[in-house]
Amino acid sequence: MIEVSRLNGSMFILNADLIETVEANPDTVVTLLNGHRYVVKETPEEIVERAAAYRAKRGASPSLT
Amino acid sequence: MDLATVIGLSLSLILVVGGIVAGGESSAFINLPSMLITIGGTMGAVIMANPVDRIKKLGKITRIAFFSQTPDLVSLVQTIVSFAEKARREGLLALEADASELDDEFLAKSIQLVVDGTDPELVKAILDTEISVLEERHSSNKGMFDTMGELFPAFGMLGTLIGLIAMLRNLDDPGSLGPGMAVALITTFYGSFMANIFALPISSKLAARSSEETVVRELMVEGVLAIQAGENPRIVEEKLKVFLPPEQRKELEERHDTEKGGEE
Repeated sequence: MIEVSRLNGSMFILNADLIETVEANPDTVVTLLNGHRYVVKETPEEIVERAAAYRAKRGASPSLT
Repeated sequence: MDLATVIGLSLSLILVVGGIVAGGESSAFINLPSMLITIGGTMGAVIMANPVDRIKKLGKITRIAFFSQTPDLVSLVQTIVSFAEKARREGLLALEADASELDDEFLAKSIQLVVDGTDPELVKAILDTEISVLEERHSSNKGMFDTMGELFPAFGMLGTLIGLIAMLRNLDDPGSLGPGMAVALITTFYGSFMANIFALPISSKLAARSSEETVVRELMVEGVLAIQAGENPRIVEEKLKVFLPPEQRKELEERHDTEKGGEE
């Protein structure tokens, strides 16, 4: 789970395990495995960094079935 | 000015009235009591069948049938594509200033939703609801004219019954039978005339305008969601082209060639 912010500045928590793609065009669009899209303020690099940090903290890899 | 409505109505009136005049005896077709029964009765029933607010809009709705224009989809596609280009260059937030300048409230509102950082799912839900409410409103407005189209002939029939009852009371004078019958049938004529020359064509025109407007709105929703997803302007254009009839697609491409001279 990573903390991200919408364009209007409101924060929400995103399930990092469900992220499929992150694109900058130029606003960052995060597409999840379920097809939902979120436009967020963070750069793709920040998202990747936070996701990696979250996984490192948690340890085990997710069991996606 | 909607030429089709005006030309069509004039044509019907001129030819039908012309036919009556050419047939001679045109004064036999004018009968004030019959008009009162048909038109007055129908109007009363329409007023009774609808809420007051809708009745108040009757004039405005009739004007739509006479003065509305077919929306210019090509320009709309170009506007949305130019928004997509700007969003790709400067980000979604850059659209805020442009959105407030738009004439179309719906498009301005949808861009505003995107700029406010509303999630795409929610944007789509809000706009889809708006479209279905719009359709609902249009169909109830059009419904008034449908009601008129049904009631005009019905009141025509009613007037004819009134005329026949009056005629049959005086059967002892066989000479008055013919003229009495003629007067009785005039209301049926008025009812049929008003329903088929005025009410039903206007209802069809309103239905056509409503479906045009729905297409415009759906195009806007599609475009705004594509902009929000950060899609390439070329892709946005391809997506929106689907809404255009073939000849308008050609027009869009021609405008491209004149404007850009084959960029990209």
